[in-house]
This record gives sequence, C-alpha cells and structure tokens, in this order.
Amino acid sequence: MKLGKKLTGTLAIPVITLLAVWLICSSKGVALFETQLNILTFVRAIANVSLVTFALAINLNSGRFDFSVGSVALLSSVISAKIVLALNLGPVAMLLLSIVFGAIFGLISGAVYVSVKLPPIIVSLAIALFYEGLAFALTGGHGVSFANSANLLSFSTIPNLLIIIVIAVLFMVVVFDHTRFGYEYKALQSGQKVAVNTGIKEIPNALICYTIAGAFMGAQGFISATTNGTIQMSLNFGSISPMFMAFLPMFIGGFIGRFSNDKMGYLLGAVTSALISLLYVRLNVSSSVQQIVSALLLVCFLIYLNNEGVIRGLFVRKERAV
Amino acid sequence: MGNDTLIRKENRKAALFRLAPVMGLVFLFAVFLILAIIKDINIPYSFKNIINQSVVVVVAATGAVFIYTLGSFDISLGASLCVSALIGAMAYNVTGSVLVMLLVCVGVAVGISLVSSVLASVFNLPVFVTTIAMLSLLSALVLVLIGANGTGDVIQVPAAAVRGINNVWFKLIVMVLYLAFCIFLFDFMKLGRKEKFQGGNPVCAKLTGLNGKKLAIAAFAIAGIGVGLGAFLTITYAPTLSRNTASSVGMDIIISIVFGGMPVSGGARSKIYSAAIGAVSMTLLNQIMLTLSLDSGVGQMVKAMIFILVVYISMSNHKGNILPR
Repeated sequence: MKLGKKLTGTLAIPVITLLAVWLICSSKGVALFETQLNILTFVRAIANVSLVTFALAINLNSGRFDFSVGSVALLSSVISAKIVLALNLGPVAMLLLSIVFGAIFGLISGAVYVSVKLPPIIVSLAIALFYEGLAFALTGGHGVSFANSANLLSFSTIPNLLIIIVIAVLFMVVVFDHTRFGYEYKALQSGQKVAVNTGIKEIPNALICYTIAGAFMGAQGFISATTNGTIQMSLNFGSISPMFMAFLPMFIGGFIGRFSNDKMGYLLGAVTSALISLLYVRLNVSSSVQQIVSALLLVCFLIYLNNEGVIRGLFVRKERAV
Repeated sequence: MGNDTLIRKENRKAALFRLAPVMGLVFLFAVFLILAIIKDINIPYSFKNIINQSVVVVVAATGAVFIYTLGSFDISLGASLCVSALIGAMAYNVTGSVLVMLLVCVGVAVGISLVSSVLASVFNLPVFVTTIAMLSLLSALVLVLIGANGTGDVIQVPAAAVRGINNVWFKLIVMVLYLAFCIFLFDFMKLGRKEKFQGGNPVCAKLTGLNGKKLAIAAFAIAGIGVGLGAFLTITYAPTLSRNTASSVGMDIIISIVFGGMPVSGGARSKIYSAAIGAVSMTLLNQIMLTLSLDSGVGQMVKAMIFILVVYISMSNHKGNILPR
C-alpha cells in the first residue's frame, strides 16, 4: 500500500471529525479549545476511552466478550483507594496499586474462564456480579470518597494523562506486535483450532490477555476515581456502562488498522470519540441527545463498514455513468 | 463393558446434566421453604412476591429465547420494555383505556424489535452490536419521553386504573398463555425447528434454503410480544414509571436464560422453558438472600457463585479441547 493511501486511511476519520466539530462550534460562535479546562476534558476523555477500548478489544478480538471490565475498574480502584487513604500515600502509589489489583482481578477472571470452560460472556456476567458485590461489601455500600485528599485529586493533569496514554499505546504495540505472545495471540485470533493443534498454548495466552485487560481497567478506574473524587458503588450490572464508550473507537480502530496499526487505530478512535465528547460539552448538549447522536454515529459507521463494497460500487457506477 | 451400555451411561449422564437447572430450582425452592418455616415467614405472601417479581422477566425472557436460539443476543430488551411501558402509560393517559395501553405496549415493543432485526438483516450488521446501539437510543428515548411528559421525573397511570388486574391470577394467566404460545411455536411448529437449525449451523441452514433474515425477523417479533406483555405487567405492578423502571430487566433476562440451561450459542439444545426456570430460580435466590438478611454485596457475590455453579454443571457435558468463545 502506498504511503499516501496509508496516511489518508489512517488520519481521515479523526481529521474529518475535527473539521466537522470545529465547523459546528464555529457556526455557534464557540471556540472548541477555549480554556485549559477544555483541553484537560479532551485529554481525559482520550485517556479514559483509549484504556477501556484497549481492555475490551484485547479479548473481544479473540471472540471473548467481557462484561466484567467495568467491575474490575470499580473493585481495583476501591481497594487501592482504601489502601492509599489508610496509609496516606500519594497518587502515583494509587495508580500503581490500581494497575496491580486490576491485573490480579483480570487474571482471576481469566482463571475462572479457563477453569470452567464456559462461554466467556457467561463467565464475565458472573465475575461482574461477584466483583460489584465485593466492592459493595468492602465499602458497606457507601463507596469511597477522597474529596479532601487534594494530592489525589491533583493527579489528573494534562501531562500526567498524556504519559499514561503514551505508555499504554507503546505497551500495546510492543506486547502485541513484537513479542512471541503477540504472534501467538494473532494466530489464535485468526485460527483458534489450527493454532492450538500446532502447539500454541491457548490457556496461558488467554490468561495474559485477561491480566493485561485488567491492568488497563485498573488504570482507567484510577483516572475516573481521581477525576470525580469519589467511587460510587454499583450493583446488578451497574458497572457495565463504561464498556459502551469503547465500541465506536473500537470499530474505528479496526477500520484504521487496515491502513496502519490497529492499536494506533484504537487511539485515533479514542481521539475521535473525545472530540465528539468535547463538542457535547462545549455546546451544552443534553445527555439524551448525546446518547442518540452517539448511537446513530455507531450505527452509521457500522452500516458503512459492513456494506463498504456496495457503497463503493454505487459510486463507481455513478462515475462510469458520468 | 459393551458399546450400548457405555452409550446408555453417557446418555443418562447427559440427561442428568441437562436437568441441573431444574434440580437447582427444586433445591432453591426447598431451601426457601425450610428458611421460611424456621424464620416463621408468611409463605403465601412470599410466593405472591416471588410471582410479582419474576413474572415480567419470565414473559420477556421466554420470547428472547427465540433470539438466543439463533445464536444471537439482544442486550436492549430491558430498555425496550421501559420505552414500551412509558408509551403505553402515555396512551392510557390519553385514551383512558387499559386495552389500548396493552396494545400500545405490545405494538411499540414489536416495532422496536423489528427495527433492530431489520437494521441487522438489511444492512448486514452484527446483531449484538445493533442491539448495543439500540440500547443507547432507547435509553435516550426514555429520558426524552419522561422530559416530554412535562410532569417531572415520572409518567403515572392512576393506580385505580390497574387495581383490578394487579393480582397474581391475572399475571399468571398472562404468563401461562404467552408461555403456551411460545412452546407451541418452538416445540410444535416448523418455526422452532428452523430456528434451532439456523442457530446450530447457519451454513447448512442456508444451503438447505432457509432464509436466515426472515427467521431473525420472526424471532425478534416474538421476543417483542414478550417484552410488550412484560411492559404491560410492569405498569400493573408499578404504575408510576421513571427512568429507572425495569432498569435491571435487561441483564436479568440474560441471566435467567443462561441460568435456565440455555446455551448462549443457540442451536438444537435450546429450550423454551429455560427462561422461566432461570427467572424463578433467580427470584427465589433473591428471596433467600433477603430472608437471611445478607448484606446486598455479599448476597450478590453468593448469587454470582451459585449462577456459575449451576451453569457449569448444566453445560459441563459439552466441552471441547479448545476454549469456548
């Protein structure tokens, strides 16, 4: 593929979105990035969305749908916040603890999946219920508040968030594109039975996937907690909602992945989502309209992805007719 | 040991595994009865509660079995139920007719289901992702409907209007009639066999001339009827509707179907009664937790463990050498 086509395919969606968002804002007389807070909102959205997208995509690309990612973020942030508040530690300690606990809870999810050998969607439902219940029991249902811990709340700055994003992307690219684990992951992804028959160990591979996904969700739980100053409890699958923000960037990432690297695609998908979120914020769009627009965008993009040949065919026929 | 004996032994074992959800239900029922006697709980009142709580999920989830049989998955049924109930209640407030309310509930739910299935069929979208987008759309629609009503955060049907039908017998009759309708379609009509064939092996089904798109539309329409009836029963039980109405029903449907022994991959092993067994079991489990006065968090952890245990036993006879996806 030629470099020009690669660049166009990679950057088309985020650039078009940026232009569209900028035009809409300009037509309403609003500057997209007016204050430092707008930039912070944008970067924070990228961090949150990209981490959830990585976590979800790791397993979903292998056909493992995981409802428990949100509950892993919830539980790991609850435990790390409790430890940090009890020992009066700083935000870096909380971030590291969140990642470690996220990885452990991810590993446990994976271990249950490979042990019971039930469809991952079923296992993830049980795990989500269990982790939500555990987080609720640990906090007595009151959640965790650190509204008075200024040092924890001060972590969510643009440079800190950018560092987390860069590390996450580099980690994804290195681990999934440049290690033996990554090659085996891809082999299992494209031909599970053949890969297993050729001697690839599927169980360790799946366990590592769940562990990495858990670590990402730990980091996302930390960002969410330190942004809000509280961690609120969820029961009866209340924790699954963060998962939904990852679908649009994931499909955009898949599309961009055809022209460059899919991990970069997920990041650019997250940038696209963050631009749309910033537009909502800048134009004070109500949450119901936000949901409707986001759902319609997802449907339209999926319709394009699943009917690309037909749509392109229509244009080609028109050109020939002309 | 002869081959026949071995086969008979394996068949017996498989039948036993298949019965795990039923045995789970019987076990939970026994535990509940024992606890009720020990703690001197009003048993008829508790049963009334169990029926009231489980009937909506039984009706909505039984219809959803048709979707699951195809190997598809609909996460938006809870939101669809909420939207149908809200529009049904608005229709009652305009017309003052309970029958109109029922018809609107069912009509809206079927309409929503058809939109999902047609979107998925016509545009070749993955059904699950379509239903995720529908979930967002319907959740937003709930907010819009409640906002448009202009009376605060709720839409209300006068309690007096539904008092006559807010009784256990009416709900049981609705549930039994709809179950009978679904069992008839699923176990005694070509539609059920075709759905199982399509879910079990879509390639073979296509080669033998089955139209997967038509089957999907039929499955979603039947599920829509269940959701509409569920919406109507929700109004009769709780006539004050808010954005949180039936908020947990969507996931309860999935849990009930799986708990009742339905394979998520669909196909020939699909059972129409799975949803009813699963929904009643989960409600019994909730009642047991309440009776034991367990902390909500601990109760949910116990529920998760029992869920995975029952599903593990009921599906443990069908494991290959690769991890399931």
